Amino acid sequence: MRFILFILVVIGVVVFLNPFFPFWVIMIVIALLSALLGLSGIQGFLAGGLGYGLAWLGQALFISATTGSDLPNRMAELMGIGSGMTIAGLTAIVGFFLGSFSGLTGSLLRNLFRKKPDNLYRG
Amino acid sequence: MKYFGFFIALAITVALAIAVSMPLGPVPPLAPLLDPNHGFWQNSYSEDELAKDELELSNLTSPVTVVYDENLIPHIFAENEEDLYRAQGYVTAKHRLWQMEFQTMAASGRISEIVGPIAIELDRMTRRKGLGYGAELGLKYLQENDPEILKLAEAYADGVNQYIDQLSPGQVPVEYKILNYRPEKWTAYKSILLLKYMSDMLVGDRDLEYSNLRKILGQEMLDKLYPDFPVDNDPVIESEHVWDFTPLSVIKPDSIPFPNDLLAIDPLPQPEEGTGSNNWAVSGSKTKSGNPILANDPHLSLNLPSLWYSMQLSTPNHSVKGATLPGALGVISGFNEDIAWGVTNATKDARDWYKITFQDKQRKTYKYGNEWRPTSFRIEEIKVKGENPYLDTVVYTHYGPVVYDRTFKSERQDVNFALKWTVHEGSNEQRTFIMMNKSKNHEDYNKALDNYSAPAQNFVFASKSGDIAMRIQGKFPLKWKEQGKFFMDGADPRFEWQGYIPNEQNAATLNPERGFVSSANQHPVDPSYPYYVFDNSYEHYRNRRLNNRLRELSDITTDDMKLLQFDDYYLHAAEALPVMIGLLGTSFDSDPEAKKYIDELKSWDFFADPNQKAPTLFYIWWDKTYDQIWKKWGEFGVPVVRPNNYQTVRLLELTPQDPVFDIDKTDVVETASDHINIGFQAMVKSMKEWEEKEGDYSWANYKRTSVQHLVPQFAPFSVTNIYTGGGRGILNATSERHGASWRMVVEMGDEITAFGVYPGGQSGNPGSKFYSNFIPIWANGEYLNFNLRSKEDSEGVLFQTILK
Repeated sequence: MRFILFILVVIGVVVFLNPFFPFWVIMIVIALLSALLGLSGIQGFLAGGLGYGLAWLGQALFISATTGSDLPNRMAELMGIGSGMTIAGLTAIVGFFLGSFSGLTGSLLRNLFRKKPDNLYRG
Repeated sequence: MKYFGFFIALAITVALAIAVSMPLGPVPPLAPLLDPNHGFWQNSYSEDELAKDELELSNLTSPVTVVYDENLIPHIFAENEEDLYRAQGYVTAKHRLWQMEFQTMAASGRISEIVGPIAIELDRMTRRKGLGYGAELGLKYLQENDPEILKLAEAYADGVNQYIDQLSPGQVPVEYKILNYRPEKWTAYKSILLLKYMSDMLVGDRDLEYSNLRKILGQEMLDKLYPDFPVDNDPVIESEHVWDFTPLSVIKPDSIPFPNDLLAIDPLPQPEEGTGSNNWAVSGSKTKSGNPILANDPHLSLNLPSLWYSMQLSTPNHSVKGATLPGALGVISGFNEDIAWGVTNATKDARDWYKITFQDKQRKTYKYGNEWRPTSFRIEEIKVKGENPYLDTVVYTHYGPVVYDRTFKSERQDVNFALKWTVHEGSNEQRTFIMMNKSKNHEDYNKALDNYSAPAQNFVFASKSGDIAMRIQGKFPLKWKEQGKFFMDGADPRFEWQGYIPNEQNAATLNPERGFVSSANQHPVDPSYPYYVFDNSYEHYRNRRLNNRLRELSDITTDDMKLLQFDDYYLHAAEALPVMIGLLGTSFDSDPEAKKYIDELKSWDFFADPNQKAPTLFYIWWDKTYDQIWKKWGEFGVPVVRPNNYQTVRLLELTPQDPVFDIDKTDVVETASDHINIGFQAMVKSMKEWEEKEGDYSWANYKRTSVQHLVPQFAPFSVTNIYTGGGRGILNATSERHGASWRMVVEMGDEITAFGVYPGGQSGNPGSKFYSNFIPIWANGEYLNFNLRSKEDSEGVLFQTILK
């Protein structure tokens, strides 16, 4: 549940904050949120990555669909990587890695401050 | 353990963030480029999708209204000129910022800053020609003599800079994002620089080639193959014009020794062949409505973002519309409520080379008459992306900069030549355009032109009051016959320019009897003009076609003028082909393939329309024949120019047995016919290859007109394979990479009717739908409505913005 919630939070952060801040600020925010929500490492990694990647993919596709511009295709041709869809995919992948490692770092950060669990049954 | 894991993750994350923020070789930083909120995706929006009702522009005295028509052409309504040009700067930057800055970077030799060491040689060349030096003198001229224009140029710069300051990261033009740099401040200096850059594009010289030719061929042969005036001279100013002034005297010194060495050096880069233009005006006596009609189509290299940007500029006192140059104030080719004007290039050998004799290796002094004159050293600091700046010392003499010396292209030869060029003198072209924009009659037009130095232009004029006129304006050096045609000796003061032709003696005409004025880069005048006129680049075909048509036509309408701008008649072919077919004889009649080509050529009507096949055949046949005839010119081993098409056709036609056709190396005596046959054979061969590889050889498919992005490597931002006719030497001068960069037709009636189009679009953004939307219209010979608009006009409004 927290996993889904975190994906949604990351998407929200990208949609509402990214227009005003560069990508690295978003990375820090994702890391902090991941720490705050206390996800496990693998959860933080996947949720942060999926959130950021999907948000960027969604934004790219939204711009592409609403403007109908040929620019993504031209950019893809310029970079020698196929079509506009490829470059949307590349955008998603870059977003995924930025988000995932931020999420992972955040959850590992929380680990540092987590007290030894005291409710553990030690038999 | 958990600390270890955290730090590993942190390190990877930070490394990742840094990696995607750094350029990897030519690849720009990935994350800022791909980020949909700031990167290139944001450039997908067209201007109408980002329209705002109000934008902030400080330092205005009153609010300015900008109305965009459906083609994104801004119509700026300001209360005074200072507000007007501030708004022009702001609005132009909004649509063309990258281009205007890039062009001034190129003009000032600063491309290395953007692309790195690869451009150092190019930048050195630009600087050694003294473009920046000339612009500095231009700025100084304004500071000392014309505070009014300087103030307006500074208002324009302020408008550009306010736009740059407001620019959100997402709206930075995509070229900055890809090349990974950011816009810097605009200045009045840059506006001046841009006008100097136009000179560089349009002005050439062939002093080197003519010096070599004179040595190789001798004066007599040179005069025969390269006469100063052609037989069919149909000059800009009508031949029957009477010169009603007493010319200044120019005395050619006796026995002038031209430096006589054979110069195995490369010439300075020359303007592209095919850069030229047409303009004309017909008087009311020749038009259906009785109103004068004016037409202009400057031919330049076809680029995106387009060189031109259309605008209407209005104050309560004047309303002007037409084509502007992004970076320069006012309209360059256009019309207002009273007059219309247009420009074509009028080069007249404005660049000369002087051989400099330095006293010693220090190069601190050079010989001039009986004295040693001091030089000055100008240190050019070229900043280089990713490297230390490159320092280049250029020696200046009183003539101008020594372009090539021991530090630049020294491998050529140990000779030093100084470049004298009118661009290196303080001048005030900007005032001409600002005054022209407000001119009400022929007198105002003349006053505006008095301020104009370079690049020399044929300024065509028509007024609502019924006048038509043409004036060839530039700062023209006073020269004795053949002065500046060849290299000159800088140590001999007798080689100095003799002063300048006074403005009022520049060739001009008002309301000539024939009812029209016209220019198409041909010889400016008849030999009766009392001053020496020479240039290698005069054109011999468009002018005659144009004048023949204008003589024939009556009851002219704007539609006739549009058709004339789009006229595909190939006069060169019409004159050459019958001669060539005659000289070809019957040797190919048995070859069916060759016969097919000959039949196609014989049935051709000489129009180079896009679907015709014969223009391709003729073009290649001529090209091969011409190369074949003048092959030995390439064997001289030094740079020379070959006799032009016109002279070559005349030789073929009138003296096919001329010794010039003989190839020395063979035992037989070749004649014109041999060359024609060899050319034909080569044409058949290359046509066969073309047909096998490409199939269709119709003209448009062969010619492949393209409009290229200013950075040639950005091929996806170019438009290629445009289906359109015309070609070099044709009124519709659309060749592979050159052609009408702007077409305008204006009828000066009570209500002014105007049409215009250019091969591009108003937006400089390759992601916008307004980036290249005019190209199909242009390629079909169609036009956009360019009538003046009032502020209240609500028809066809895309959106409106108030600047305050």
